[in-house]
Amino acid sequence: MRAWLLAFALLGATPADAGKLQPFTGDSLPAIQKQFAGRPFILTLWSLTCHHCVKELQTLGRLARHDRALPLVIVSTDSPAEAREIRAALQRFGLDHVDTWVFADAVPERLRYSIDPAWRGELPRSYLFDAAHGREAHSGLLGEARLKDWLKRQRAGK
Amino acid sequence: MPAMAKAQAHAQHAARTAERPALAVGAALDAGGRIWLARVENRLLQVSHSRDGGSRTFSAPVSVTPQPEAVTVEAENRPKLVVDADGTVHVTWTQNLGQPMTGHIRYARSTDGGRTFSTPVILNDDRQVISHRFDALASDGRGRVAVVWLDARSRGERTGKKSPQTDVGVYAALSQDGGASFAPNRRVAQHSCQCCRTGLAWTRDGPVAFWRHVFGRNIRDFAIARLDGGPVLRATDDEWEIDGCPHHGGGIAEDDRGNLHIVWFTDGARRKGIYYRRVAAADFSRADAPLDMSVPMALGDAARQAGHPAVAAAGSRVLLAWREFDGRRFSAWAMLSQDAGASWGAPQKLAEAAQQADYALPLVDAKQARVVWNAAEEGLRVLPVAEAKP
Repeated sequence: MRAWLLAFALLGATPADAGKLQPFTGDSLPAIQKQFAGRPFILTLWSLTCHHCVKELQTLGRLARHDRALPLVIVSTDSPAEAREIRAALQRFGLDHVDTWVFADAVPERLRYSIDPAWRGELPRSYLFDAAHGREAHSGLLGEARLKDWLKRQRAGK
Repeated sequence: MPAMAKAQAHAQHAARTAERPALAVGAALDAGGRIWLARVENRLLQVSHSRDGGSRTFSAPVSVTPQPEAVTVEAENRPKLVVDADGTVHVTWTQNLGQPMTGHIRYARSTDGGRTFSTPVILNDDRQVISHRFDALASDGRGRVAVVWLDARSRGERTGKKSPQTDVGVYAALSQDGGASFAPNRRVAQHSCQCCRTGLAWTRDGPVAFWRHVFGRNIRDFAIARLDGGPVLRATDDEWEIDGCPHHGGGIAEDDRGNLHIVWFTDGARRKGIYYRRVAAADFSRADAPLDMSVPMALGDAARQAGHPAVAAAGSRVLLAWREFDGRRFSAWAMLSQDAGASWGAPQKLAEAAQQADYALPLVDAKQARVVWNAAEEGLRVLPVAEAKP
């Protein structure tokens, strides 16, 4: 438990240049949806222990580089104790300027369940929220073409 | 990064990884019905055993690792142990190498009833800082020992980006002398899924491995194979096509008639959830062996995320255990068969956990059926499973 408290303290004390990595709790998804009220966004969940997630972050990094207004939220399912590794990975893929979070609960399954009871923990996991926040869930790599196509359709208001 | 800084970063990562509560334990029964446990405390891998056939008191833990090390202990990763008829205790685990998704497969044994352990050795011949992880251990109880794991050493062999092969395969090490020495590693299969636990059973025809394979381009269903060069045989047909990591494997056990009992998780097109099936005894050395497999039986409550099933067998008794989660609390469940999986007692809810909980680990012999379940708040519990009324 002490390690957890320490990790939370470290998260709070993040220097500005290290990028924001916010603790994701049971209230976080509603807060994120509020922030994107009336707008579409992509929610991507990944982990340091996920073999395929590297490729997914690469794709998202490429998209984010060409599209500074990319409505993207990235959530690591690791723990705040691994903030350093998470930041390093996000930075490597040019994703340190986007909205990034890390699971912060002694029982991460609770957070997973609060996002979607039908999600069994496979990664990467993505949710494509349209402007009305109807969402489409996807397990595994999304692929650049599909993401671009979805963005285009959302921005055209379709 | 300079070597020193790199080494430091690795040490820091390993230390932080170890700060997580190490709930994932290993458990086994010996021939006398005593329960053996392998668990990690303060980065030391420790083994203890119950004083008698019961579960009230355990011996003082003995360290298998002479120095603290980054034993990988979470979810799909846990220390494994088996105890031979002569009392030899075999232990395997994965040692994290300071970077995510890396590891060495480690082995040690005790020939004095668990009082002292041999100096741990690394079983993977390949020593690159890459993934050698997800070990499984089995012995014939009389001096032959087998270990399998997932290994990324052959990724250099890929013929280019268009190769449909994954960069991970199943590798094995075998000992004929009670773990004193192991033959060079053998590749059992290529093109496996990357991060699900593996299973291993010592059958009448030698060790048989069970793992999540990749069929075709991206169907992540399960396979079995003998370790002596047998073909990869498809054991499940759920058609789970996913370009991702399930982090959710399965288990295997053999009964005394040579039937295999397998449990697994899938989110496939054909079925979703956790399942049990019996694979009738057959010549698994033949690629064209007709496999006589029972219809997959769904386990647990899908609405409560029934998951992480495991299986143990002894004689004609087969015990299944799994975990459920209702959004707030975990629960441990079990089901017992007295007739090699032909019929089953009702599912039994054994206990709940208020905070984080490990997978439920089944243990069975002729006299007892129990589930070992470790949890952050309640601690390690040995839960009795009710015998089915005849």
